[in-house]
Amino acid sequence: MLFKFAFRNVFRQKRRTLLTILTMFGGFTLAALAIGLADGTYAYVINMFTRNQLGHIQIHRESYLDRPSLYKTVDHYKTIGEAVGRISGVEAWAPRLYSAGLVSLEDKSSTARIIGIDPVRENTATRFDKKIVEGRSLSGPAAHEVVIGRGLAKVLKARVADEVVVVSQAADGSIANDIYNIVGIAAAGDDMSDRTAFYLHLDDARELLVLEERVHEIIVIINNIDYVYKITGDIREKLADSALTVQPWQEFARSFYQAMQVDLQANLIMLLIINLIVAVGVLNTVLMTVLERTREYGVLKAMGTRPLMIFRLVVVEVAVMIVISLIIGFILSLIINYLLATTGIPMPFKFSYGGVEFTRWYSEVNARSLYIPGITVAVVALLVSIFPATRAARIAPADAMRTN
Amino acid sequence: MVEISGKEVIVARGVKKTYYDNGVPVEAVRGIDLTITTGEFTAIVGPSGSGKTTFLNCISGLDDVTEGKIWLGGKLLTCMSGRELSDFRRDRIGFIFQAYNLIPVLTIEENVEYVMLLQGVPARKRHRRVNAILEELGLGGYANRLPTQLSGGQRQRVAIARAIVSNPAIILADEPTANLDSQTGAELLDLMRNLNEKKGMTFVFSTHDAMIMQRARRLVVLKDGLVAGDEIRS
Ligand SMILES: Nc1ncnc2c1ncn2[C@@H]1O[C@H](COP(=O)(O)OP(=O)(O)OP(=O)(O)O)[C@@H](O)[C@H]1O
Ligand SMILES: [Mg+2]
Repeated sequence: MLFKFAFRNVFRQKRRTLLTILTMFGGFTLAALAIGLADGTYAYVINMFTRNQLGHIQIHRESYLDRPSLYKTVDHYKTIGEAVGRISGVEAWAPRLYSAGLVSLEDKSSTARIIGIDPVRENTATRFDKKIVEGRSLSGPAAHEVVIGRGLAKVLKARVADEVVVVSQAADGSIANDIYNIVGIAAAGDDMSDRTAFYLHLDDARELLVLEERVHEIIVIINNIDYVYKITGDIREKLADSALTVQPWQEFARSFYQAMQVDLQANLIMLLIINLIVAVGVLNTVLMTVLERTREYGVLKAMGTRPLMIFRLVVVEVAVMIVISLIIGFILSLIINYLLATTGIPMPFKFSYGGVEFTRWYSEVNARSLYIPGITVAVVALLVSIFPATRAARIAPADAMRTN
Repeated sequence: MVEISGKEVIVARGVKKTYYDNGVPVEAVRGIDLTITTGEFTAIVGPSGSGKTTFLNCISGLDDVTEGKIWLGGKLLTCMSGRELSDFRRDRIGFIFQAYNLIPVLTIEENVEYVMLLQGVPARKRHRRVNAILEELGLGGYANRLPTQLSGGQRQRVAIARAIVSNPAIILADEPTANLDSQTGAELLDLMRNLNEKKGMTFVFSTHDAMIMQRARRLVVLKDGLVAGDEIRS
């Protein structure tokens, strides 16, 4: 009865109801899109950084990241890598060796970051071959080949098949120098790496720098990024080596992670604003409705309707509108989010984050982007309806009857 | 003084009601003593502003009194809580308003059964009772219509049906014919008089309408918030 009554009241002033529903469902959809887009972009950016470059988890010799040195190495990397590879949830691992050097081609020269990689492992872990924009990737066995970054190629005016000379310092203190054949040019990810990346086969790099079974870094790729902390713990436990640091991406890329958190906070503020608009909109229309029905509520009270029932009548009416709004909003947001997740929207401007350039915005279809706006909009609308509902419940029937 | 024949329904003693209009006191009712007994068909008349509506609102507990005491069915109204009053009105008083005041989103049937719903009367009984009353008041075919689909006279009939449906001790009507043409008004009054005679229902009207005054069996005249005359007519 109460429900029937409230339900019919909803459809009484069709325009106002439409407005209220539009406010709520608009707020819902906006919030859902904001969350979807934020999560999508967040996931996309993190993926770009971790999955394609830095790995989800990194293993170093203690304090390597704070003060990198040629001598702070992870020894017996194969044994360690294989042990890590057997932990459940780990998808791939790859060893890396780093050093600095001077690269020259004819009369051009530049500083470079020598990165020794295992091309096979690097392919499965970070899809290294996908980064090649010209030429090819390194061969499986070491063959004195090098892949250089796009930016570095520009500086050196280097092309595929050119030979470059590199000079560096070896671990035994001697001067390291050698000649390599450029087989490919890569888009290394960010601008900085692009200008300095000098990828050698791990074996070539070890020979150049006179490092035995030692690397500077092992990156680990896991199946599901949500379990990164847990798996980091598992690795630590398994290795049980206090000389090694095992860190999830949130730690080894702390400034990047913090920038992401700031982004999420901005998103929270946006949600707050959306909900404020919903609150004002709903309050306005419900209050107007109650005022308009003063006489009617007065009559109901005169006939012996208890105040609580009048209160419920108003709240249930709002609840009916909430349900309608949420159903429409749910369907619409799902469709839009899905479209944005599959095709993305082009960014109106070039946007670079940590040196990585993004051209499209992607959304993510997830439960969060539906239940967060759903709950907030419903709670806000219900809370806001308490005031007009109380007002309706308190109407003095005698006064109500006199107003014409 | 008027002789009291039936059982007392309403007893008002020294009822005063003062409104404050922007701080200025308005003494709408200035000390009324009145007793209404079962089976009465009484019109409260008087010039505009004499306190008729105010007095009706006081005796039905819609408005609280400034001074004085009111008993309804032997119970003292003036010391009841809001909720007690609410339930009391639901069970003891039927209202008929000048502007009909039917609930626009409820059908005729739903409007009439509303009070019984509040009382928790089972659906079958409600249904039977509503149908019987609608039939009796000549609204048989209108049960599923909305108020807006009815004429003013028909609407006021529905309002009468709504007021009497749960057999209240008294039916209060504030200017029930003011919005109707005289013929329709007369018809409705005859209808109520009929209910009064056949079923002994107690009616109290406030009115300017000479036609009601003619049909009333007791006339209470108010003037400046006081009883200026009280006569029983045959
Ligand atoms: N809520 C109120 N606030 C202030 N004054 C009021 C209020 N209600 C009624 N009054 C005053 O009380 C007096 C009595 O009013 P009431 O409505 O009872 O008269 P009435 O006899 O019903 O008049 P009418 O025949 O015009 O309906 C009037 O002077 C009116 O202005
Ligand atoms: Mg009046």
